[in-house]
Parts: sequence; structure tokens; C-alpha cells
Amino acid sequence: MKNPIYAVLLGAAVLIPGVSLFAHHSPSAIFDMKKKVALKGTVTKVDWVNPHIVVYMDAKGDDGSVENWKFESNPPRWFTKVGVTRADFAAATGESVTVEIVRAIDGSKYGYLQKITFPNGNQISLESQKEE
Amino acid sequence: MKLHLTALLLMATLAFSQQKPQPRTADGHPDLSGTWTFGIDLPPGDLVKVVDGKVTRTHWDRTTRHRANDIPGALPWDKAPSYKPEFQEKVKYMAENESKVDPVFYCDKPGTPRIGSPRKIIQLPKETIFLYEDISGDTFRIIPTDGRGHRAKANPSAYGDSIGRWEKDIFVVESTNFVDDTWFGEEGYLHSDKMRVIERLWLTPEHNLAYQATVEDPAVLTKPWTNFARVIPPNNDPIEESPTCKEDDGKRLLNLDHHLQR
Repeated sequence: MKNPIYAVLLGAAVLIPGVSLFAHHSPSAIFDMKKKVALKGTVTKVDWVNPHIVVYMDAKGDDGSVENWKFESNPPRWFTKVGVTRADFAAATGESVTVEIVRAIDGSKYGYLQKITFPNGNQISLESQKEE
Repeated sequence: MKLHLTALLLMATLAFSQQKPQPRTADGHPDLSGTWTFGIDLPPGDLVKVVDGKVTRTHWDRTTRHRANDIPGALPWDKAPSYKPEFQEKVKYMAENESKVDPVFYCDKPGTPRIGSPRKIIQLPKETIFLYEDISGDTFRIIPTDGRGHRAKANPSAYGDSIGRWEKDIFVVESTNFVDDTWFGEEGYLHSDKMRVIERLWLTPEHNLAYQATVEDPAVLTKPWTNFARVIPPNNDPIEESPTCKEDDGKRLLNLDHHLQR
């Protein structure tokens, strides 16, 4: 089976640059929208749940210990509407990936997933139109 | 100039004459049956796909749903319900703290009419069935149209007890017997268990579904409130089971900023 090379860019026009949210709260109520963080790690689980999908990832901290991160992203129906399914994210399970997030202001290991890059270079990315 | 005007009038006449007649059921009523667009907002945005070097972009934006349109058949509407003075402070508090106290934010049922237009309508001779996709659970309403009244012993519920009738070409759904812990609008619109909701559904000349709701609740409102009408295009995307809803962002919220969803 041919493994198609593809890249998916999701440009989300939103009220606040950098991320779009489905639920009622504004992203700035939780996340530091000005501070993007890049992390490398292994995806351990993908929850295809409302109101946001949730991706779990283990990453190595500065001291070498394993940090358990949790990311939310857009709602499942939004991803369905733009042609991305759970399988696209689940393909990352057990894989070493790079993610870009905006981190929770409270300093917890929680973030809003904006971009995920798979080992083969495939990407799923949320980008505001202002950033394009 | 006169020639242009004549041409425009001719085109308009042709367009009108070519309009398909409204679909109707055997009993002569407009046929509202069909699958309609999802009733909840999703973030606007573009999808850009690059597959083997080929770039495709899909635009997604339904923000115009919140714009009131001049829809034939629609009732006059008000921007917000008028609450009795003793409820105004509470409504204001609930609106300002929506992301903390709105049951829908935490995956609870939106109730009628906040759930909006149905995703699918099945219009039968003696009843009409509304099917919904909602993150709180994919609910349904079975609306008798055979002239019966409201059920006498039904338990109160978020979607109420509904009966339907036709007023010319408009399907009118009257619902009562509500629980009092839902909001009928996102801005803290509380109600009592005496709320009565009148929903009106009809087909536009373009065969889109029009939906407009009126809320009556003399216990808390000074007068009935009619929201603006929405136009819902048909949509043949398959109806899918909504994934479980688990919202735990509440404990992380550092301010009360929020935006409209419905």
C-alpha cells in the first residue's frame, strides 16, 4: 500500500491569534497565547472526546525524568469537518513526535496543541490566519 | 439604463419561474424531512491540505449564523429577553460568569430552544421526529401532530413535552413541562418550570430550513421573547454519534472571557 506523503495545514481564523477553541471560554483564560513551546516526546494516548480532543505525551524533562503532558485541541467535529480523523492522530501513538503548544498559564504540564509533526514529516497544524 | 433594468427584471422573473416548487407531503404540508446542517458553531478557519504536492484549501466559517437576516415568514425579534427587575442581577451574574456556571459548558443538556434546529427531521402523517447531534448526547424529540394535547403525567425535562401543528406552511411546535435548571440562551437566560416555548419551522424559497423560537415565561419575563430566525441549509453529512463529553477546563480558567457558541 502506498503510503501517501501529505501535509495538513489547518488555518484557523480566530478571535485571538494562534489558536481556536470550541468551548465557551476564551483561550487566554487558560493559555499563555504569546508563548509557544516546542516539545519532543512519545504520544501515549489520544482521546477523541468533546468538547476538545485530548492528546497525552511523555517527554523528557531537563533532568532526564519523564514528564507526563496533556494537550487539548479543537473539537472532534471540527477536525472531522476539515478532513482529519482520530486515526490521523492515533497514528502518533507510540511514535516520537514534535509538538507545538501554548502552555497553561498556571504552569502545569497542560497545553493547547497547535501542531504535531510525525516521524515521517507529516504534519497536522492549527494556524491562525494572522500568522499565515 | 432602461434596457438594463428591463433585463434585470426579466432575469428575476425567469429565476422566479424556474424555482422548484416546495416539496410537500401527501397531506399537502411542506415537507421538512431531511438532514440539515449541524446546529452548533465550530471555530471558523481554513483547511489547507497538501497531498503529493497538491494544495487544497477548505474554508470553514459559519459566524453569519449570529447575524439576523430578513427572512420571509420570520416574526419580529428582540436582541435580548426582558427580565423582571428582581431577576436582572442574577441574569447579569450568570452571563458574566458563563464559563464557570453554564451547565452546557460542562456538557449538560442545552434544552429547548437552546439546542437549536434539529439535525434531521422525519415528517410522518401523525408525528414529526427531530433528531439532534449534541455534545451532551444525541437526543430526539417525537412531536405528535394528530391533534392530541400535552401529556398529563409526563415528567419535566430539558426538552419539554411537545405537540405540533401547521399554521399554513409553518410547522409550529409548542413545548411545556420543562425542568428549571437549563438556560434558554447563552447569556444567562434562566427560566422557570412554567416556561412555554414556541418553535416555528418552515422552508425558505430556496428550500433551506428556517427556524425561529419564542419563549414565554411570565414568572421571570415581562413579555414573550422571540429570537432572530436562522436559516439552515441542507447537509448530507452522515449523522454520527457524538463522542463523550468531558470538560475539566473549569478549574484552569484564570478569567471569565468567553464567546458565543450557539
